[in-house]
Amino acid sequence: MVKNSFIFLVLIGLAAILLNLFAGFNGSTELGTIAAHYASKGIEEVGSANLVTSVVVSYRGLDTLGEVTILFLSAAIIGFFLKVDNTDNKNRQLKYTSEILNTASQVLVPIMLLFGAYVFINGHLSPGGGFQGGAIIASGLVLMFIAQPKKEMGHKMINIVESVSGVSFVLLGVAGILFASGFLDNKILSLGKFGTLFSAGIIPIIYILVGLKVGSELTGIALSLKENQNEA
Amino acid sequence: MVGPIYIIAIALGTAFSLGFFKNANRNISFSLMFLAMAFLTFISGQWLYAFLTQQQETIQIFTAGFKPPFSISLQMGFHEAVFLTMINSLGLLSAIYLFDHLREKGVNMMMVFMLLFMGLNVVVMTRDIFNLFVFLEISSIALVGLIILEKKQDAISSGFKYLIASGVISGILLIGIVATYYYSGSLYINDLISANLSLVKGGSVAVFLIMIAVILELKPFPANGWALDVYQSVNAGIGPIISGGIATASLFILYKLLPIGGDAWLLPIGITGVISFLGSNFLGIKQKSSNRILAYSSISQVGLLMIIMSLSTSLGDKFEFVFFSVLISQYLAKAGLFWIAGIINKDEIDDWNILKKSPGLIVLVGIFMFTLLGLPPFPAFYGKWELIMNLSQSGNFVWVGIILLGSLFEAIYLLRWFGKILIKQDNLEDLKIKFHKLIPVIFVSFAILLFSYLTAKWSGLIGIKYYIPFIIALLIFAFDFLPVFIKNIAAISTVAWYSYVLIYQTYIPENDILRIVFGSIFLIGAIIMLIPGFTFKGKRQGFYPLVILMFSGLAGLIEARTTFQFFFAWEIMTLASYLLIIRGKNAVKPSFNYILFSMAGAFTMFAGFGLAFAETGSISLNALADVLVYANWAYALIAIGFLVKIAAFGVHIWLPSSYAEADDDVTSMISAILIKSGVFGLIILMLSMSLKNAVSPNIPYVLGWIGAIGALIGNMMAIYQEDVKKLIAYSSIGIMGYILFALSMMSHMGWLTAFTYSIVHFLYKGLLFLAIAGVIYRTQTRNIYEMGGLIKRMPLSFISVLIGIITLAGMPPLAGFAGKWMFYNAVIMKGWYLQGAIVFFSGIVAFLYCFKLIHNIFLGPLKDNHRKLKEASIWWLIPQFILIIGIMVISVYPKIVVEPIGQYLSMYFPNDGLVWDGTTASTRLGYWDATKIMTVFAGMFGVLFIILYSMSRKTQLVEQFNIVFQGERPERPETTHYAHNMYAPYNKALGFLTAPFITSAWKFVYESIHSISDQVRKFYTGNGQTYAMHIIIYVVVFYLFINGGF
Amino acid sequence: MENITLQNISLAIGILVILIGLWGLLTQKNLIKIVIGFALFDTGIHIVMVSIGYIKNRTAPIIDSAVDMNNASNLVVDPIPQALVLTAIVIGLGITALMLSYVLKMYQKKKSLDITNYKDLKW
Repeated sequence: MVKNSFIFLVLIGLAAILLNLFAGFNGSTELGTIAAHYASKGIEEVGSANLVTSVVVSYRGLDTLGEVTILFLSAAIIGFFLKVDNTDNKNRQLKYTSEILNTASQVLVPIMLLFGAYVFINGHLSPGGGFQGGAIIASGLVLMFIAQPKKEMGHKMINIVESVSGVSFVLLGVAGILFASGFLDNKILSLGKFGTLFSAGIIPIIYILVGLKVGSELTGIALSLKENQNEA
Repeated sequence: MVGPIYIIAIALGTAFSLGFFKNANRNISFSLMFLAMAFLTFISGQWLYAFLTQQQETIQIFTAGFKPPFSISLQMGFHEAVFLTMINSLGLLSAIYLFDHLREKGVNMMMVFMLLFMGLNVVVMTRDIFNLFVFLEISSIALVGLIILEKKQDAISSGFKYLIASGVISGILLIGIVATYYYSGSLYINDLISANLSLVKGGSVAVFLIMIAVILELKPFPANGWALDVYQSVNAGIGPIISGGIATASLFILYKLLPIGGDAWLLPIGITGVISFLGSNFLGIKQKSSNRILAYSSISQVGLLMIIMSLSTSLGDKFEFVFFSVLISQYLAKAGLFWIAGIINKDEIDDWNILKKSPGLIVLVGIFMFTLLGLPPFPAFYGKWELIMNLSQSGNFVWVGIILLGSLFEAIYLLRWFGKILIKQDNLEDLKIKFHKLIPVIFVSFAILLFSYLTAKWSGLIGIKYYIPFIIALLIFAFDFLPVFIKNIAAISTVAWYSYVLIYQTYIPENDILRIVFGSIFLIGAIIMLIPGFTFKGKRQGFYPLVILMFSGLAGLIEARTTFQFFFAWEIMTLASYLLIIRGKNAVKPSFNYILFSMAGAFTMFAGFGLAFAETGSISLNALADVLVYANWAYALIAIGFLVKIAAFGVHIWLPSSYAEADDDVTSMISAILIKSGVFGLIILMLSMSLKNAVSPNIPYVLGWIGAIGALIGNMMAIYQEDVKKLIAYSSIGIMGYILFALSMMSHMGWLTAFTYSIVHFLYKGLLFLAIAGVIYRTQTRNIYEMGGLIKRMPLSFISVLIGIITLAGMPPLAGFAGKWMFYNAVIMKGWYLQGAIVFFSGIVAFLYCFKLIHNIFLGPLKDNHRKLKEASIWWLIPQFILIIGIMVISVYPKIVVEPIGQYLSMYFPNDGLVWDGTTASTRLGYWDATKIMTVFAGMFGVLFIILYSMSRKTQLVEQFNIVFQGERPERPETTHYAHNMYAPYNKALGFLTAPFITSAWKFVYESIHSISDQVRKFYTGNGQTYAMHIIIYVVVFYLFINGGF
Repeated sequence: MENITLQNISLAIGILVILIGLWGLLTQKNLIKIVIGFALFDTGIHIVMVSIGYIKNRTAPIIDSAVDMNNASNLVVDPIPQALVLTAIVIGLGITALMLSYVLKMYQKKKSLDITNYKDLKW
């Protein structure tokens, strides 16, 4: 109890610091110079209708590469950490899944996969993008595991998708150095007609790769956790 | 050149494509990763090379085809190149080291490994603060993966602690970053620097959050329990990655972001560093796990680097030198030690003596530890020197004290560990060493040697001449497979050549009597004391390089012209003598005492030199004379260093057992020669400082008392010793007491006495130790009561000891009397009657142990098991007779030595000198003619000898063994021997004087430090939550400290 | 009362969630709850980030029929914090997933979810 009140006091101290941090906060009224540049020049420079996408994939593309790497890392670590011997898998006792879940998943999973693909393909035009799309795809696959626990799904396919999309992402970045003005430069493809699917340079391609990569990584993580269940 | 951006492309591309090889041969995937790592190293190395040689300009690399601040940019400059080369080459070596682990654990871990280094590279290069955050997260997540390289229970739970702690820290960083964005509208670091956020309300808090998060990434004491647990639990191959890779990169982040905080942050960072340095080293002394010790040491070194960083402005153009010399030494040495820990695979340092099986590794451990401790000739020494000088100059004396105290704590745990390696033990397990684990270790040790050379050159503090001894030592080390005989000849001729150059060619023409006298003691003494080496059989590996280093250190003292050179030589000599002593059979503990006292003494000396520099701004030894304001402090601090070396009363407890346990010829070297380095130092110090009025006369007065008490206690202790080497050792304490007393009189006669005593002590102490060593070598015991009656078996040794003790006791006609006569004169002229009486009394005490030496060893009945003993080996006898000749010459013609010294001293003390008239020396108190006395003595001796010899014809010879024991046989027969506990009655009367209260006092200090350390470290509860709590408390307290309130 | 704007409310909520998350992280003994505490802490930070980028009466930074291309900089909210929060969410997801897998492994080894049982190394 004494300990908790001490923690409480320290957190009050931290709260005071945070309040001071935002003492000068009164809500922005104007965009900063950089943000304004993105808003006014973004279309001209990057060609993506979704400004967030142009920031994420193009202006701050290196961050996105890092972000993808983090997911990749987590998946690799969890895959290593939770690896189970194949022999154990055979003796697993699995719970019965309900008919409703089973049937519904058969309808939902394809739609979810499709929707995920839609979200990342259209990331430069509408809200969404590779991460969101990938997450939706992964959710679809997770739903499939839950509905059909007996269905084996190897890591092999996942790994290949992961690697191919990751390597392609890096290669696209290098292509930027070779064919345009810098790593991850968007302009190796023409920006195309604004607002159409095939526009905004390599953004759609990158988002497709990211979508595949995120989808496979999240699925991989979920798969590792699932395989580990019987050991618990 | 290959652009830095390819570092990212290649590392990421490799990591991603490793996924294709999941089921393929792991050798292929490892080779791929290794090649990528090598390429990273190549890229950073070529940039470093370009910066060093071609005056390459710093370049900016833009991504996404836009310029900053609109896109993320990277920067490659000289500092980036240095850090990247360090990080990537560490990665390459780690990959070699971890070869079998990575291969066994599979592709996933290789990816993780690769990405960790990729992350660190971007962290160093990026100029965008959010990008920095992302890649920092990559590195820390990758580390979380490497922690569980071996899925041990403690690794898993410490990995969880790490996740929580680093999660909280990165959360704080993230809040700071977004707030900074809000207040400045940019994420580009250059923009943030120019935005002057500290002036904006709220902006200063945002800066605070960023800075505190970066500081927390450096694992400052005490908010670092999580990091310590991680260090301890991980595979030893990961340790270097944390301490040399992540910590190095984190330091660079601090360096990069520091301008955002501005100069206001320098002091807080310095204070954080001081707390970290002192606290970690303090808690380190209670540790037993090697990895955890290294963890504490890493954190303390980071603290030191933070201190240096905080001084960047005042260090000016020396900043880079100091920073990199400390950083790179710690980086290399720590990696080497971690890797060796992994090779040994024993967590408890008590088990490290398994290394006995491979002496080569012990040498490497030594190199690494001395590098960490910043001992010369290793790089950090130069950096620490500049640091202390700078801190002193800017008046930060408290910091100097704290840094030196922390260094002493570090010395305690590292050197104790080193000692444990050398403890002898039978039935050691075999040490299996995988070759690929050895490669990186050897590589870093070479890197250290190379870097030592470069730093020395860069520092400009010492000339090329100072490398020669190291080159010779290395050469001898390379030829260590040769037999002792050849190496001994090589060593003797080296020293002989050098003494010719130094004394004959340099100082005799200059007529620098002080340096001639001590140079002769050091170097000609060295030749004499090396002769017994011929008796040793086999190879005596490692002995000769150390001997060369020790004597070169001594020669360096003579030659030193600056305080730096002096200190350099002093440390070399101390270190080499420590390593020589520790070679003795049971010398681990005594040598630990020796080195601890010596280090403490050296640190006070260091501080004293710092003070002198602070006032005069010069490191010339002559400039010591110009110190006025800090004179008393500087004088006292420097003197303490010398007092430790001469084992003055109070700091003498290291001496007896070190002397006793060292190898016999080593004992002769250190007791006859090495100990004079302290005398030499005191003379140098007093000549430059005491003669001025700046130093209070009270200090010499106190020194005089210390000397007098030392003389008494040393001699008192000597008479009770059963161990003959200890007996002579205690007598050294006594004689050094005389010399200190004589010096502190600050008069012509006093100094003349001190000089004469130094020479004479060198002669007879060498003589005694050599003679006794010869006896010990034959009898295989050091206990006096187990000897006796050896006069018939070892007559030549008897003569040596006889002459030795006559000289020691200061009896006419031998040279000791000359010293004593001058001494009496000096005391009476000075008027220090009370102290003088004590010294006179201790002279009488000396008779008791002299008698014990000659009587118990050589007279009386011979022991049964000694009936067939032979005379000592000729190699022990030759140096003895050289010394006897020396004693005789000085006894008959003291003038040849004393007169030039007197003339020299007249430059400093013009009054009350000796007046020479032919062979007669006189003072205003009386006169003395050594030659006449000798003639008279020889005549009387001849007459008495003839009378006694003729009388002996009439006596009946009694066989030595004609002694019959009667009655019951006692349990321990030797206790009934007359020589056992010989002076028990005196002990009853005066025993209180020899109660080991000084030893107890030091023991109390030592143990208190340990138990406090033990109590304090309990706040590291091992609970991840508590660690997270520490972090938040740290943040809040730091905030309060900086802002003085909320 | 003027201060109570949308940003301020969401900012305050964000800070509150941060503190609640930390409270959970520091006081709960159950490993899973600690992870949830961390996730809350992270989410709080994300809310703060988004609030910072918000500008009153403006719309999402997507150029479509609602936003005039030439006047975009006066019509949309700041896209940068949104981009940053996207990255931050993904990082948080990775860390949380790692934490959970650690918890899973810890539980498998010791059959306990109480953090006080995991003090293998200390001092």
